[in-house]
Amino acid sequence: MTETILSVEKLCFRYPNQSDYAVQNVTFQAKRGEWLAIVGHNGSGKSTIAKLLIGLLRPESGVIKLFHHVLDEQTVWEIRRRVGMVFQNPDNQFVGTTVEDDVAFALENNGVPRDEMVKRVHEAIRQVHMEEFLHHEPHHLSGGQKQRVAIAGILALRPDLIILDEATSMLDPKGRQEVLDTVRDLNKKQRITVLSITHDLEEVAKADRVIVMNRGEIMTEGTPKQIFALGTKLERIGLDLPFAVKIRDRLKQCGIPLSSSYFTIEELVEELWTLYSKR
Amino acid sequence: MMNSMIIGKYVPGNSVIHRMDPRAKLLIIFMYVFIVFLANNSVTYAVLTVFTFGFLALSRIPLSFVIRGLKPIIWIIVFTFLLHVLMTKEGDVLYQIGSFSIYEGGVKQGIFISLRFLLLIIITTLLTLTTTPIEVTDGVEILLAPLKKMRVPVHELALMMSISLRFIPTLMEETEKIMKAQTARGVDFTGGRFSERMKAIVSLLVPLFISSFKRAEELATAMEARGYRGGEGRTKFRQLVWKWTDTAFLAAVLLLAVVLFVLRS
Repeated sequence: MTETILSVEKLCFRYPNQSDYAVQNVTFQAKRGEWLAIVGHNGSGKSTIAKLLIGLLRPESGVIKLFHHVLDEQTVWEIRRRVGMVFQNPDNQFVGTTVEDDVAFALENNGVPRDEMVKRVHEAIRQVHMEEFLHHEPHHLSGGQKQRVAIAGILALRPDLIILDEATSMLDPKGRQEVLDTVRDLNKKQRITVLSITHDLEEVAKADRVIVMNRGEIMTEGTPKQIFALGTKLERIGLDLPFAVKIRDRLKQCGIPLSSSYFTIEELVEELWTLYSKR
Repeated sequence: MMNSMIIGKYVPGNSVIHRMDPRAKLLIIFMYVFIVFLANNSVTYAVLTVFTFGFLALSRIPLSFVIRGLKPIIWIIVFTFLLHVLMTKEGDVLYQIGSFSIYEGGVKQGIFISLRFLLLIIITTLLTLTTTPIEVTDGVEILLAPLKKMRVPVHELALMMSISLRFIPTLMEETEKIMKAQTARGVDFTGGRFSERMKAIVSLLVPLFISSFKRAEELATAMEARGYRGGEGRTKFRQLVWKWTDTAFLAAVLLLAVVLFVLRS
């Protein structure tokens, strides 16, 4: 039985001067080592949830528990030390003048002694494979590299939970792959829990469990396989199925016997050519 | 666009001056500003000049860089010189045009004052040429630390400076992008009458401002999420190391002050 590290109960939130709830009655849990994805169209409340989780916004009602601490004014700094968040824009979260300065920023904030800091910075940079860029300035890095530096900045604090708030949406396909591979690696090897907030269903395919949000409420929850099976229902709430899934469904409609257990193009190609050579 | 910012631009190098602690450099400049005023005759000015050029030689910065840094203020120096030549009425008359006469004392005074100016500019340019802006920021933060007791927000000012420095290239890139986007929409930034060009600049500044505000807000959120809550209880990653050479240079400047004090008339 694995430990529940995040639990959200009946969370409600409204932005000031607005009558509609941005987040309404949201309840979910995350277990240690799990990769949980929250998907939804723009304005479905998914990013608001992220901000509520680390106390950047305050809920109107409901309880957020992280590591068995209830999030409130006393615990918020301790919680921010154990929860790392990667934001959407790679540039607007890079505080330091060089890679190593930026990775050290959160450590400085938490008053870590310098010797310890140097050790942890190097360790974190190694984990995201950015060793050769230690002294580089942000404008000499690609978007994907900047996001990896942001992840290193979080790792230096040795977090239990990483929240990706649309962290790959401004990256090119290569940068996105780099970032997702890095996170996957950390999730598998160090059992760091990942909460990825996204509207990219390709990213969702990597998750263990998916929560679909629609208009501030949880629409459904399940494994990626169960979620993709919803098909047109997802499209109706403004989400786009991965290309491989779409092709697969069309081919199946034409009577080609394909299994429905994969989401990536590689797997589709694999299945198609084995099918072809069997004939 | 980057080329026009040559004034005060860092020239990478590994000379003794480059490796000096920024605190030592700042202290030396601070002292130098006062020391310059000690010189008041040919001997003291000669010593001062030799000393300054000694620093310049140690930094191994090509002279052309320093001269380029001097260009914008050369007219002020020329003006100061002329002012003293024409206004000072001391010593023998050297030259006379109509009612104007140029005195020996005036020429001497003119040379001294412009030299004083020139030496000051050279030594301060040397600071910015051999020190990265972030090092200067670190140095300023530490040197001003005692002012914290008087509630001067030293840490906040230093952080503001370092964040601005970090965002200069980002905003430059953004400016270029907006410029291209607006050019594609038919805005002409290079030609046209003055009023038209001003209008074109507005179409550049407005989007730039809006995006900067958005950046600032996102950056603040990201900083808070990473546990930033002001300077209290914060440790520092960047560290300055005071070496024996720094003490030596400081001592040399003090010695210079003593020498000038003895030799001045």
